[in-house]
Amino acid sequence: MLRASAKTNQTEIDLQSIRGSANSATKGIEFGSLLLRFAESVARRDTVTIAASRNALLESAGPLVVVDAAGVAANFQRMVRIADSIGIPVDDMNTELGQQVRAELKLEEFASAQNTLS
Amino acid sequence: MIAFDYGKAPYPIRPDIPAAYQAFWQRLARPGSWWTGEQRVAIAAETRAALDCNWCASRKAALSPYGQEGEHTQYAQATGVLSDLAVDAVHRVITDQSRITQHYVNDNAERGLSKGAYVELVGLVVAVFSIDEFHRALGLGLEDLPQPIAGAVSEYRPQHLSEDVGFVPTIPLEGAVGPEADLWPSGRTANVMRALTLVPDALRDWAHIGSAQYLSFQQMQNMGQEDGRALNRMQIEMIAGRVSAINECFY
Repeated sequence: MLRASAKTNQTEIDLQSIRGSANSATKGIEFGSLLLRFAESVARRDTVTIAASRNALLESAGPLVVVDAAGVAANFQRMVRIADSIGIPVDDMNTELGQQVRAELKLEEFASAQNTLS
Repeated sequence: MIAFDYGKAPYPIRPDIPAAYQAFWQRLARPGSWWTGEQRVAIAAETRAALDCNWCASRKAALSPYGQEGEHTQYAQATGVLSDLAVDAVHRVITDQSRITQHYVNDNAERGLSKGAYVELVGLVVAVFSIDEFHRALGLGLEDLPQPIAGAVSEYRPQHLSEDVGFVPTIPLEGAVGPEADLWPSGRTANVMRALTLVPDALRDWAHIGSAQYLSFQQMQNMGQEDGRALNRMQIEMIAGRVSAINECFY
């Protein structure tokens, strides 16, 4: 979805942000590295870094961005658990875009890949 | 007292967010398809207890999460309301979801945790968890759980189900008719939307909360900037992707 939205918006981005590269997150995405750190701290549930990354994001991007970012991060803490708890496979493994993204990000390393690949 | 009153929150919070949370809290307290109101609130309590469970932490570190004996740290008020199977399922969904297998779900069904009950449980767990995660992300205290409302479960099971994806029966694309006609109004669906449809209200809860936290099904089709959102779509999807990657979600 990140690559699709970047294409729609004719913006060059670096997908490695998804695997944690802060430098990649700055490419084409406003407040990218700050959003990345906040998202990581929420996903890892580290209260110390949540507070620090939230304050850094708040100072640079403002409270509306912080609230929206918290909502998106919270939503995807949920979505991954739906997908894995129910064991759903990827809908279409044959799209070129999907294949590129999975290869680039080495997603087949993830345990839940077995729900699609086995 | 009104639940999710963000009037004193240190940030201005869009009103659709507390509205979605309040509506879910009301549904949480009521009997569902397979769990009573008391059991549903107990599932919510267990969702919180799982985060501090020593046994879950130990099992998470093990090479395999199956075949080991242990005892979960349970939420005191919930003890006895839920079976051990249900408590274990709640804890796994929260702490080790990527290693849940078809065998685990089938085995639970044979031992009394039906697939319908499992799906409703998953839907409740993830909804409560995401609301709590929103609060933790913003440094807000957790909302008190609602008081259960007495009543009988509906035992509702959709008429059109198939077993072509995932560990449980789901409604196929063409099966969203009659009482389920609202599930994918665009006429299109995806496996993640189908996942919880054995209990259609679980998908409805997801859609309602997700519309506030992320985007509605309709908004997901728009890769540009949504009105009323401080983040553009690329910012939204980078957060989504990074959270999913840390959770090792292949989907």
